[in-house]
Amino acid sequence: MKIKKNFVLWAILFTTLISTSRVEAQKNDISSQVTLANEFYHEKNYQAAADIFEKLVAQGETNGFLYYNLGNTHMRLGNTGNAILYYLRSQLLLPRNENLDANLRYAINQTQDQLSPSRGGLIHSLFFWVDSINLIEHFEILILFNIIFWCICIGSLYYRKSPWKSLKKISLAILLLAFFSTGIKYNLLSEHKTGVIMDKKVDVKSDRNIQNVTLFELHEGAIITVNQEDNEWAHILVSTDKSGWVPIESIAY
Amino acid sequence: MENNLKTKLQFWPTVPAILIFIFIPVTSFSSNIQLSASVDKNQLTIEDSIELSIKISGVRNPPIPNLPPLTDFKVKSAGTQSSTQIFNSDMQVSTTHKYLLTPKIDGNFIIGPVIMNLAGSKYQSDPILVTVKKPNPIKPNENKLVYTETSISKKNPYINEQVVYTFKLFRKTEARNLNLSMPYDESFFRKENLGKAKRYSRVINGIAYDVDEVSIALFPIKIGKSTIPPSMMELDLINRTQTNRQRDPFARFFNDPFFGRTTQSKHKIFSTKPIKLESKPLPKKGKPREFKNLVGQFSITATVGKESFDSGDTTTLTITVSGIGNVMDVTLTNLNLGDQFKIYPDQPILKKSIHGNKIGGEKIFKFALVPFTTGKQTIPSISLNYFDPDKNRYSSISTNPIRLTIKPGTRTGNLNLVQSKTAPTQQKGSTVAILARDILPIHTRVDDFKRVRFDQSQRMVYMIWVIFPIIIYLIAAGYIRYNHKMNEDMSYSRRQVAHRKAIKKLNQLSVSNPEPKDSVRELSQIIREYIGDKLNLQGTAFTSKEVGERLNKNIFTDDKIFAIKKLLEKIESIQYMPVVVHKNHCLIDETTELLISLEE
Repeated sequence: MKIKKNFVLWAILFTTLISTSRVEAQKNDISSQVTLANEFYHEKNYQAAADIFEKLVAQGETNGFLYYNLGNTHMRLGNTGNAILYYLRSQLLLPRNENLDANLRYAINQTQDQLSPSRGGLIHSLFFWVDSINLIEHFEILILFNIIFWCICIGSLYYRKSPWKSLKKISLAILLLAFFSTGIKYNLLSEHKTGVIMDKKVDVKSDRNIQNVTLFELHEGAIITVNQEDNEWAHILVSTDKSGWVPIESIAY
Repeated sequence: MENNLKTKLQFWPTVPAILIFIFIPVTSFSSNIQLSASVDKNQLTIEDSIELSIKISGVRNPPIPNLPPLTDFKVKSAGTQSSTQIFNSDMQVSTTHKYLLTPKIDGNFIIGPVIMNLAGSKYQSDPILVTVKKPNPIKPNENKLVYTETSISKKNPYINEQVVYTFKLFRKTEARNLNLSMPYDESFFRKENLGKAKRYSRVINGIAYDVDEVSIALFPIKIGKSTIPPSMMELDLINRTQTNRQRDPFARFFNDPFFGRTTQSKHKIFSTKPIKLESKPLPKKGKPREFKNLVGQFSITATVGKESFDSGDTTTLTITVSGIGNVMDVTLTNLNLGDQFKIYPDQPILKKSIHGNKIGGEKIFKFALVPFTTGKQTIPSISLNYFDPDKNRYSSISTNPIRLTIKPGTRTGNLNLVQSKTAPTQQKGSTVAILARDILPIHTRVDDFKRVRFDQSQRMVYMIWVIFPIIIYLIAAGYIRYNHKMNEDMSYSRRQVAHRKAIKKLNQLSVSNPEPKDSVRELSQIIREYIGDKLNLQGTAFTSKEVGERLNKNIFTDDKIFAIKKLLEKIESIQYMPVVVHKNHCLIDETTELLISLEE
């Protein structure tokens, strides 16, 4: 019985060591790839840098700085649409990065339409901080206030004094605010898809057919909101009064 | 007369009625609505286009009919015409939608029926068969009216080497509305324009052609194979035909093309063949360490604003790199002047120029130098490496060393930095002129490139962290409430601890092994205390009969009450026996079992 127990313990230890070393090796590989791509960028070999960054993104590496560097590389290659797309992706993870904001503004200024990302209505105005905090931070804040609230609940049960009850009410209010804020952020990210026009010029049609009336034109790098997808077409929104259908292959989000 | 007046009176109300009928933009239709589709030709070459006309008659302001899928054609709307004709009292209205269809490939195609839905009825036209043939191959010696041609300067260039891609239109006739599209793979090339289109004449096999030539410079930014897609030239060919001069006296008199000629325009599309090329890497052999992707032919010069100046004053070092190739990519990073001068670099200036049919230019770097020490100083030669594709080797160019004389300072004052190319940069109120804008640099701290996880498992972890404090709270709340009740409710507290207390005392009794009589007394006391705790009774002075009465009113079942009574009677009988022969441990075990069964 003791031998069996020891065997299980050794197996767990061995697996942990292997998985740790594998994670470490993977981390080192990513670091070396990023370093190499950054070197290529500094040597002005932008295509080689972009290839490495793109490969990392295709491997499923999700990182705000990776998207930011890829956006910069595309900017240098003259691919404004791709640059804006990656800056927007980066902004989801690094909402308070000033360099990113500056580069996104610069990239938007280079486009013909100069459309900025759309900001929501009343809910956005009320929950104005939602854009400055990413979803992961929202969840972390929610968890923190959740722990604080329930700790205060335990304290108020134990001490049964009025300051604890007041504290409980305040922490509940903050927790509810964090909860709604996280919900809004999650909803915005899953429902409100921000996309970018990738083609040099796209005719925005009144319906899903090339023969339909062209309502207006958009150009590479224009930031749009994707409302609906229908096979090869996507319904996009530019502002509250401008919307229409574009071929899905002409946008990316 | 009266009759005539009557006719006039009848006529006047009909005029506004007809006008209203014509101009009010609502869909109004009669019973004989017809939809027909026709083409101007059904046999054409891939260089031509067809005009598809869809005529809807018998209805005003009809909806736009749905075209069939035309994947093998490029569809372009050519406008809509409406007409109203009145024959006697019968009015005929029709709307014609015109489309220009340009074939993408050759073959036989069926333009499917055009469908229009109107007021629940479906109208459709007949399908049309169209044959698209390949254009006749271009032979140089053939007497062609118009033909196109593309070429590249090199099919196997090095990476970053300039390749000139040229499009030529040869024509013997007048052409208008020329529209050229020269697509290229943007992921493979960087493009530079080589000026406006050139127009010249050339005689080929004795035939004079007007040639329109457009060139662009392409720099491969990747290694490998690529294809330059076909260039497309869309134009209207003007065909001037001579009318019969014999019959036209004016034409004979003036002998001018204006008279006696008619012009016909024909829309044509010419596409060229795709061109394949393969870019190769630069050779590794002889590659200098400081080489920075510069490919072409270049030269470098360096000059200073003044060679002799006072300490604290500045001089401007101007380095100019000029040549043919990717001059825009020139960077100067190896200035070894840091220990002699404080360096203030200015924004480089790039001037592009066209040399023959190639792009080049010059890039000017300016640095304000402030010497650290006085005396004789030397700006060492500054070198630049590039790859010359014509000579197929790396070359190094460098500037001549420049000698400077720095005299000890004779005045005090602010430093004069390099003069900006636009507004002065040092004015009162610090008005800084922006020379250019650029993106901010990439992020280089490798530790920040950790993967951000927000997958299913991470969401699960977040959910656990949300639920976990609630579970902890429920456990803590149960425990705190239990403690509070134990402290505040004495009967509850006694009831809760009764069994534990009794078992503990029984264990102590079995360990201590006292005299039989004392043991029995103690046992009696333990049971009484247990019952007292369970029923919250004060004291233990009650007989076995009283126990039965009290327990009846409360929680125990009849058989359990009977067992308690029996045990107490047994203990009482042993207690008052003259000689105790009963074994202690048997009685203790019996009591323990009874207490356990009571707790159940």
